[in-house]
Amino acid sequence: MTNDESRQLPLDGVRVLSQAIVWAGPFGSMILADLGAEVIEIESIRHMSPTRGSYRQMPPELMDGPTGAIYLNRDGSEGFWDRNSGFNFAKRGHQSVTVDLGSDDGRELFYGLIRDADLFIENNAADVVDNLGISWETLSAINPRLIMVRFPGFGISGPYEHFKGFGATMESVVGHTMLRGYRDSDPSQTPAIYHGDPNAGAHVATAVQIALIARERTGEGQLIEMSQAEAVVHHTAYDLIDYQMNGRSNAHWGNRHPSMAPYGVFRCAGDDRWLALAVPSDEAFARLCEVMGQPELATDERFADAAARYGHQDDLEPIVEAWTLQHGDDELMHRLQAAGVPAAVVAHQTEMFDDPHLLERGFFIEVDHPEAGVRRHPAPMARFERMPLTPVRGPAPTLGQHNEDVLMGILGVSRERFEELERDQVIGTVYTEDADR
Amino acid sequence: MGPLEGIRILDLSQGIAAPYATKLLSDHGADVVKVEHPGRGDVSRRMGPFPDDVPHRDRSGMFLELNTSKRSITLDLKTATGRDIIGRLAQQADLVIESFRPGVVERLGLGPDRLEELNPRAALVSVSNFGQYGPYRDFEVDDMLAYAMGGVLSITAEWGREPLKIATYAPFFLAGGVVAAFTLGALRGSQTSGAGERADISLHDILATSMDRGGTNLAAYEYSGSLFFQRQESARTTALPMGVYPAVDGYVHVICAPMWWDRFCNMIGRPDLIEDEHLLPNLLNVDFAPEIDAVFYPWLLERSKQEIMEAGQAQGLPVSAINTTADVANDPHLAARGFFEDVEMPGGGTVALPGFPFRMHGTPGEIRPAPALGEHTVEVLTERLGYSKQDVVVLAQRGVV
Repeated sequence: MTNDESRQLPLDGVRVLSQAIVWAGPFGSMILADLGAEVIEIESIRHMSPTRGSYRQMPPELMDGPTGAIYLNRDGSEGFWDRNSGFNFAKRGHQSVTVDLGSDDGRELFYGLIRDADLFIENNAADVVDNLGISWETLSAINPRLIMVRFPGFGISGPYEHFKGFGATMESVVGHTMLRGYRDSDPSQTPAIYHGDPNAGAHVATAVQIALIARERTGEGQLIEMSQAEAVVHHTAYDLIDYQMNGRSNAHWGNRHPSMAPYGVFRCAGDDRWLALAVPSDEAFARLCEVMGQPELATDERFADAAARYGHQDDLEPIVEAWTLQHGDDELMHRLQAAGVPAAVVAHQTEMFDDPHLLERGFFIEVDHPEAGVRRHPAPMARFERMPLTPVRGPAPTLGQHNEDVLMGILGVSRERFEELERDQVIGTVYTEDADR
Repeated sequence: MGPLEGIRILDLSQGIAAPYATKLLSDHGADVVKVEHPGRGDVSRRMGPFPDDVPHRDRSGMFLELNTSKRSITLDLKTATGRDIIGRLAQQADLVIESFRPGVVERLGLGPDRLEELNPRAALVSVSNFGQYGPYRDFEVDDMLAYAMGGVLSITAEWGREPLKIATYAPFFLAGGVVAAFTLGALRGSQTSGAGERADISLHDILATSMDRGGTNLAAYEYSGSLFFQRQESARTTALPMGVYPAVDGYVHVICAPMWWDRFCNMIGRPDLIEDEHLLPNLLNVDFAPEIDAVFYPWLLERSKQEIMEAGQAQGLPVSAINTTADVANDPHLAARGFFEDVEMPGGGTVALPGFPFRMHGTPGEIRPAPALGEHTVEVLTERLGYSKQDVVVLAQRGVV
C-alpha cells in the first residue's frame, strides 16, 4: 500500500516546509507530496492546526453534527487530531514536526530547518508571519535559495490585505456568488461553496515548480504571493469580459448556459435523482428528441435551431423534465450517451466508492494509518507511466511523529537537548491542555 | 521574458482546462506553440463573448483569456504533410500536451509509441474528460456535467431545491490549475530521468478529488459513514447575524460568531449593546433574532454594500459585499494591486483580462496578447523547421496550413 523509498519521483530531493492549512493549503501540499517532494508539516503542540481540529476538547454536540463526520467513527476523544479524515487524506506522505514558533527555542529550530529547505509554503492570515518572526526578509537572509509562498485570502497588499475571510466571503467579493444564484431568488438562497480553496492549492503547486525551474538558472530563491480571491477571478472570465465588451453585468444564471439549450439539471424518477444535460448542437437536439420518443420537437419552430431553442427555454425545459421524471438517472445517462447526447447523472458521493469507472481507474487508494487503520482516499490526480505516483509515499503523520527524524536526523540535535525540548513543551506529540487554535 | 524561457511546449489542446494550464506556462515565458485546425481553430474561438456581440474567431473573450502569450500555427493533421510537420515539432519539444478524445492522438501519428521514437526525452501529457481508459472514457460532457459526475453538484443545492451549478466554465478552470501542476511534474520527471513521461489526466478524477467538497467529503464518508458537507437548511440557528443581508444597493454576506458580538455592536455604532443585559445572555437563542435584526436592518439600509464591508472588516468581522461583475471590474482592491491587464485584441481595441493568479516577485512573467488564428505559422515553420516563406505558401495552397 505504501511504496519503498527507492522509487524515483519527479520532485525527489525537494524539501518543503509547510504551514499549509485548512482546505486551500493542504490541497497544494498534497500535490507536492504526491509528486515526490519531502514535505515537513510545521506544527505546534500549543496551537492546534485548524486542519486537525477546531477545539482542544471536542464538544460532544459537535460530534453528532456535520463536524463529527470528519473524525473516525465520530470519536472525539483524546487524539482525535490524528484521526481527522481531511488531514489524513491530504497530508499523506508528509512528515510532522512540532516546533513552537512562539518560543525562541522553537523559532531557532525552524530557522535551522529553513537553511536546508527548498520551499516554505504558508497560508496563515496576512500578519502572522511578521508576528512570528518568520517573514520573507528574515528567512531569505538565512537561505537565499529559499522559495517562499504566501497565499492569504486577498494577497499581501492593497486595501483588503487584512480582511478576514472564509470561502463565502471571498467568493462574494470576486463576484462568483452573484453569478451562480437560482434564477428566481435573491442571494440568500445561494448554497455556499468553497471552490477557491482547491484552486489556490493547485496554483501554489504550479507556482513553486516554476520557481524551482527559475532557480536552476538564477541560483536564487524568491517570494511568491498569491491572492486566493484573484485566482478565482479567472473562473468568472466569461462574465467579466462580457461586461467589458457588451456592458452586461450578468447575475443569477441558475443552471443556464450562455449559448446551449436545453441545458441544466432535470429531475428524474426516484428521490433526489437528477440528470445534467447539455445540448451543444441541432444534431444533438434531434437525437435527444429521438430518444425522448418525440421527434416532432426537433422541427417545432420554437426549438428548430439553437437561437430558437435558447429563446424558448421556458417552454422547452418542462417538456424535457416531464420525460426525465419517468426514468432513472443512470438509465438516461447511458441511453443519451449512446445516442451522442452529452448527459450525466448528478452523482451522489456516498455511491462513488462503487462507481465502475472510478474503480477501474484506481481512483481510490488504500492507505494504512497508524491511528485510523486502512482507509480509502482519492489517489493522486494524474496517472504517470514512467514514474507512477501510486502507491503514495506513506500515510499522513500523527502529531509530531517525525520530531526525532527531523530534529535529530536533519538538524543534528542531541538526544539530551531533544529531551530538554520535550520537557519545556517546545516539542511533543500531544497538544498541551491549554492549546488554542 | 520569464522564468520558463527556453522551455518548448507543443500544445495540441483546446477548450478550457488544458489551455488554462498552458497559459500559466506561456505567461511565465515558456514557448507554447499552439496547433489549431485551419479555418475552425480552437473551440474557444466560438465561445465568446464577442465585442458588440459580433462573432469573430480572433476576438472571442474566452479564447483571448485562455491563450495569452502563446503562438498559433494552423495545421491540417489529416494530411501526411501536416503529420510530418507535427512530428518534427515534437522532436524539438520538451513537452507535448493534447486534449483530443482518447485514441485520436494515436491516429494522428503522435501517440506515446511514436513520440518515443521521435523524442524519447519528451513528456506527453494527455488531458481528457474521463481519462484514457475506463467505462466512461468516450462519454461526452462539458464542465457542468463533469462536475455533476464528480459528485460535488449533488450537494451544491439549497434545501429542497435542484442542484445549482457554479459559474459557467469554472469547474474546468479549477481542473486547469491542477493540470498545470501535474504537467510541470511530468516535465521535471522527464528531464531528471531523461526517459520521458506519459501522463493520463482525467478532468473527472480531478473534480471528484478536489478539496473541499470532493476528496474531503469522500474521506469523511470513509471515516464516519456520513458526509461532512451536505445540503443545509439555511435557517439561522442563533440570534447572531449570519448569512445574506440587504444593503441599499445590493447584498452583503455577514458572519458573526459568538465571540465577535462586541465587534458587531461596534460596527453598527451601538457599543452600548455589548453588555446589554437583555441580549447578551440570549445570543444563541434564535428567538431573539428579530430583536437584533430590528437594530441591524435600519443601519444596513442606510449604507452601500461596500461601506458595510469596510465597516465590518474594520472591526475584524468577516463581512463581504456580494459584488456584481460590474463591481468586480471596478473594485478598488483589485485596482490598487493592478490585477487586471490590458491586452490588445487582434483587429484593434484592448480587453482588460484577469492578471496573474500568483505573483513571482523574483522572476515575474509577462502577459502578451492571444494570437490570431495561424498568426505564427510562417514564423514557426521558418524558424524551427527551416522552411522558406515560399514553402509555406505552397503548404497553404495545398490546405495544410
